[in-house]
Amino acid sequence: MTMLRAERVTLGYGHRPVVHEVTLDITEGGVGLIGESGSGKTTLARAFLGLLTPMSGNIWYGDQTLKKADLRKFRKDVQPVFQAEALDPRIRVGTSVAEALPRSARPGTRQRVADLLQQVGLDPGLATRRPHQLSGGQRQRVVIARALAVDPRLLILDEPTSALDVTVQARVLDLLASLDTERLLITHNLAVVERLCRTSHVLFAGRIVESGPTRDLLANPAHPYTRALRDAVPRLGGPPPEARGRAEAVPAGTGCPFRLRCPLAVPECEREPALRDVAGRQVACHRAEDTLAGDHVT
Amino acid sequence: MIEVRDLRVSYGGRLVADVPELDVGEGECVAIVGESGSGKSTTLLSLLGLTPDAEISGHIRVCGVDVLTAPPRRLREIRGARVALVMQSPQAALSPATRLGVLMRRALKLHGVGNGSAGGSAEVMEEAVAAVMLDPGILTRYPHEISGGQAQRFAIALAIALGAEVILADEPTSALDVTVQAEVVGVLRRLREERGLALLLVSHDLALVSTIADRVLVMKDGAVVESGPAARVLAEPRHPYTRELLEAVLSVPGGTP
Repeated sequence: MTMLRAERVTLGYGHRPVVHEVTLDITEGGVGLIGESGSGKTTLARAFLGLLTPMSGNIWYGDQTLKKADLRKFRKDVQPVFQAEALDPRIRVGTSVAEALPRSARPGTRQRVADLLQQVGLDPGLATRRPHQLSGGQRQRVVIARALAVDPRLLILDEPTSALDVTVQARVLDLLASLDTERLLITHNLAVVERLCRTSHVLFAGRIVESGPTRDLLANPAHPYTRALRDAVPRLGGPPPEARGRAEAVPAGTGCPFRLRCPLAVPECEREPALRDVAGRQVACHRAEDTLAGDHVT
Repeated sequence: MIEVRDLRVSYGGRLVADVPELDVGEGECVAIVGESGSGKSTTLLSLLGLTPDAEISGHIRVCGVDVLTAPPRRLREIRGARVALVMQSPQAALSPATRLGVLMRRALKLHGVGNGSAGGSAEVMEEAVAAVMLDPGILTRYPHEISGGQAQRFAIALAIALGAEVILADEPTSALDVTVQAEVVGVLRRLREERGLALLLVSHDLALVSTIADRVLVMKDGAVVESGPAARVLAEPRHPYTRELLEAVLSVPGGTP
């Protein structure tokens, strides 16, 4: 049984749903949630953290729904890692980490803080610094140390490296990959997902459009949106990234939400596609087979 | 279009950018890459004399104007008109209470484009908007009604309408989604090819730069550590820092067909 699972979860603010009937298991080896601005990925992350109650559906924590679960235990098991801007600028980073420690650890606080800083690759001597006295990469490590303070089983990471310089990003990713916690990683960066997640889910307009092993998904996408995302990523020495046009078209309100942007759209796409099994993954597309075959001429 | 020699920019005695040589010709794209604090944005801003508190020495020529010695009147002639600046978040620079069309018309009038006549400027405006693949309807919108990618393309359209010959772009796509980034990059490439626009691009994204730049300058801690043709620098980096940057670029499996 997986530790955390969303079952047909619909999420929104007020009465407006932004995530529609998403079912997702946090499995081993890292789970990636890929999507662009407005796709609903952060909203889904908030629900997994128990910060947002589903309009319908359930978040399961073991064999209990989050509504009924022991939240004290949940908060120890599941920890968020957000961008480093979340650190209080007035508080020394060592204190910041100490505050996150469970009460039972109080006597040995100083040593625990030093250990945690060391675990994330920071000199324990930095504990007396304030956030602005650290570099962006160091601050992000402090945020990770704080999350690790309660010895969690799962980290929920929302764009943990997107504000960092590339060389710094590479080292923070190494750190994240070395931790023995489970992870749910929310990002727009396909390369980061590839590095940290065995399984990935692609979110478009609040719906999962493709799920499967990350490597397969990126090597040979079965959903035209996954393909558009992948092909838009610039490659070193490669051709200019491909613009398939209409990247800013509003998602369709009926039928397949991607159809107004889709190079493969056919009249059938006015009927909303359900997720179905195709080539070892789940895809919500009437034309998944054609996408897999690389058939892009309409 | 741009000619820089021995440029040194300092703040309070601290050297933040030291660029011995930087040239951008017509229809050329040159990129400055580097990480935070490398001096790449300072270099870009100094080209328009937009580093007022800095001590600057050297020689900067942009569109035939000697930037460091020209009177303010001469600088205003190139700023915003012949040389356009495109920033990371254009929405921050657009007045929220002004429709985009009104904003563009004002800019045209200020720079005396379109013969001052309403008909003349309408034509220029529509042509400019079409050049960046935006719908003319966008001119009736307010800034908050458009997306980041549309705002960025509008900023470029503004440059086109004003007859820009050079675009200075500071991380023009790093706040955008990848699919939208691809569109904006496509627009810049076409403008270069069709109109001979010179493009100086500041970016931290080596992969992106490798796909559009002719030449690259790699900056670190204010110094240019390596420069040359993009293909050479990226394929056979000579400086250890360039190699480090290249190694840090994460790859995504599967090639563009």
